[in-house]
Amino acid sequence: MFLSWLGNALGSWPKRLGGKASLALATPATRSRISGRRRRRKAARRRRRVESDVFGDLSRLLPLQASVRAHLDKPSIIRLTLSFIRMQALLRAGEGRLFESETEEIAPLDETKMYLKILEGFLMVLSTTGDMIFLSDNVSKYMGLSQTELMGHNIFEYTHPCDHEEIRHNLRLTAELGCSQKRDFVMRIKSALTHRGRVGNLKSTTWKVLHCQGRVKLCVASSSVSCLLLTCRPLPLSHTLLSTHTFTSQHGMDMRFTYCDQRVTSLLGYRPEELLGRSIYDLCHTLDTSCLNKNHLNLCLKSQSVSGQYRMLVRSGGYVWQEKQKKTLKVPNLFKLIFF
Amino acid sequence: MCCNKHTKKGCFSSFHLRITKKLFFNRLILSIISGSASSFSEASYKPSFLPDEELKHLVLKAADGFLFVVGCDRGKIVFVSESVTKILNYSRTELIGQSLFDYIHPKDMGKVKEQLSASELHPRERLIDAKTGLQVQADLPIGASRLCSGARRSFFCRMKYNKIPVKVEEKETQANTSKKKESQKYCTVHCTGYMRSWPTSQMGAEGEGEADKQDSSYFSCLVAVGRIHSHSAAQVNGEVRVRPTEFVTRYAMDGKFTFVDQRATTILGYLPQELLGTSCYEYFHQDDLLHLADRHRKVLRSREKIETNCYKFKTKYGSFVTLQSQWFSFVNPWNKEVEYIVSTNTVISYDNSRTGRSGHKSEQSGNSKASEDCKKSLPVLPGISSASGTMIYAGSIGTQIANELLDFNKLNSSPSSPFSLAQDKSPQTLHQITNSVPNGETSDMEIPGKSSSEGEPQGASFSGGDSLMGENSQLDLDSVVGASLNSLSNDEAAMAVIMSLLETDTNLGEAVDFEEMHWSL
Repeated sequence: MFLSWLGNALGSWPKRLGGKASLALATPATRSRISGRRRRRKAARRRRRVESDVFGDLSRLLPLQASVRAHLDKPSIIRLTLSFIRMQALLRAGEGRLFESETEEIAPLDETKMYLKILEGFLMVLSTTGDMIFLSDNVSKYMGLSQTELMGHNIFEYTHPCDHEEIRHNLRLTAELGCSQKRDFVMRIKSALTHRGRVGNLKSTTWKVLHCQGRVKLCVASSSVSCLLLTCRPLPLSHTLLSTHTFTSQHGMDMRFTYCDQRVTSLLGYRPEELLGRSIYDLCHTLDTSCLNKNHLNLCLKSQSVSGQYRMLVRSGGYVWQEKQKKTLKVPNLFKLIFF
Repeated sequence: MCCNKHTKKGCFSSFHLRITKKLFFNRLILSIISGSASSFSEASYKPSFLPDEELKHLVLKAADGFLFVVGCDRGKIVFVSESVTKILNYSRTELIGQSLFDYIHPKDMGKVKEQLSASELHPRERLIDAKTGLQVQADLPIGASRLCSGARRSFFCRMKYNKIPVKVEEKETQANTSKKKESQKYCTVHCTGYMRSWPTSQMGAEGEGEADKQDSSYFSCLVAVGRIHSHSAAQVNGEVRVRPTEFVTRYAMDGKFTFVDQRATTILGYLPQELLGTSCYEYFHQDDLLHLADRHRKVLRSREKIETNCYKFKTKYGSFVTLQSQWFSFVNPWNKEVEYIVSTNTVISYDNSRTGRSGHKSEQSGNSKASEDCKKSLPVLPGISSASGTMIYAGSIGTQIANELLDFNKLNSSPSSPFSLAQDKSPQTLHQITNSVPNGETSDMEIPGKSSSEGEPQGASFSGGDSLMGENSQLDLDSVVGASLNSLSNDEAAMAVIMSLLETDTNLGEAVDFEEMHWSL
């Protein structure tokens, strides 16, 4: 028994002593044990190395910059690879090349960037299960998180829990084999940007209100039958616009006018005093109440909203079309209405 | 290259030169745009997940718009992306070089001109900050090749679109021009973009073309994206259905019309302004008052759509049309009050006399059944004869129902409020009278028909029958009363007449103190 204890004790020494020297000191029993352990360790190391190499190869195949690639961990590599494959499947299964590329005067990338700049948003491709398969580069400008950090993740991890139902509803409609239907909804998403626009800590995220518009794209491959193509733009908190066809008004939370600026007279014919105390629902066209209602609810719940177009009654009779951008302040609402 | 589609003159060397200059000028502009566009991206080459073309295709599909660049002074279209073909059905070649104003609705030209012309680099641009509503002095920085927030433009305009889709390969001039003449349809385009300006010195001597003589030092243009916005709320199913004749009306809580669709005029004969402010109960057929009042009550209490049965609505000419309606009450989400009731009314048949067309497909089979139902629905109410329904007081029914709801909400008590006795069509006022009169006469007073003074008031014209009965002096009581007196005994008839006279003469609302009325009979 002592011998076995001694053997064990001696056997443990080799670890401390290290290397092949230990083998020389050990008994045959421990020698086989040590070598077995070492073999296993070696095998494990080899496996890990092979795994890293494979992941490295995979990451090099991804269209990423070297600096970005270096910071990727294995789950991220898998995530991005999946995104890449799904996007390829989506594009391949689509209608193919609709148009011949004429001699472009503007490079397509520039044109795309111009679009996204003008639309003030980023592109998002959502699968029916809510995975953000693809996001355009400029998402970092709006969310503070880069494209590689976000792609492949599920959107439900980044949006406000109260909006999940609405998002799910839109995705469900997408999953039904419908035509290219349009989507338009507002949701709140996490943003790692500070107020000054700098990228802050991921833990201290604020909610940003995004207006998402887009349509369904059929993709008869992979796990989802169709995907949702969306341009998401954050609703701006302040606007600078040409004032000719715009007027501002303030409303109580029940949508009654509490203030209206003078320009409304030239646009709608009402004097501001006539409108005070009246609800906006009085003045809109009946068939547009659902649009305004949705807008009002969005405003109450999400604190910012934009309506589609709706018709407002003009003092002299007849209707004009309007669009509205809303934002809640602490007590009153502030609206800006753009006319045409 | 000799014969260009822009001219029939043929080859002239000076003309040729101008075209070359134009093309060169265009290319220069575009290179400037491209150059500054790429300033958005990172300096180094960045591989993107998608091929550029595909990404562009995706963005276009999602945004459903086209990019265009127009010069500000003459509105010349300098560039337009190929996606315009899908949206406006014009090919790029047709549009580039043309004036934007050729494609805009005449009434919108002023607005678009204003949006384009406010690119002067003078501080008197009327820009507002939407947060405060105040004017902002935002100068367009001289030589701004970057897009700054002060230079944003957003407007709606109507643009022409080609009805006939243009094939991309087609380049014949005749076909194109004839197509342009045919198409006069407009669609609404929402344009958002930025103003940009470059000093012409950047563009070299070629920039001194016809286009920018006015603005000697700067060339400004609008870089924008145009998207079509659909006005109507999305239809859930896209199947084509023959829609039945319908119109929309809106009632206040007490049943008074606050909005009437224009289509109602062809159906009902009334102009919208004739209906506004009047209570809907005045037009309902007396047989239907019961169930409509019941529905009215229901709709005020629930948020769902309530369907009515078929009912008859009186037209201006005295005849009746059979309608069926869907009502729902619109509740203000903030204070949870009912703002109004929206009613979508479908015409089932136009005239009682003729079994007219019933537009609704699914109604056709049920139409005969429906009309049978209508005829059958003559309820027998306790204490009221079958031919009842006081048309004079019809207006007050709505008010009563509305008040019920208000009281219910205020008191938050049991559903049966003091006023909800009326499961009947009878006016509340009369019922109150019967209740409050000293007991001895109650039995006599309780007229099974205050019904008596009813009948089809065909010729009567109703005012906005509210609880103030005084206005009804214009009513022709004889015609009203005379019809159904036969069904009653003499005593009852006499009583009925006296009652109706009293009610029209006195100011009867809920507030009247009945104790003071001493009726000696």
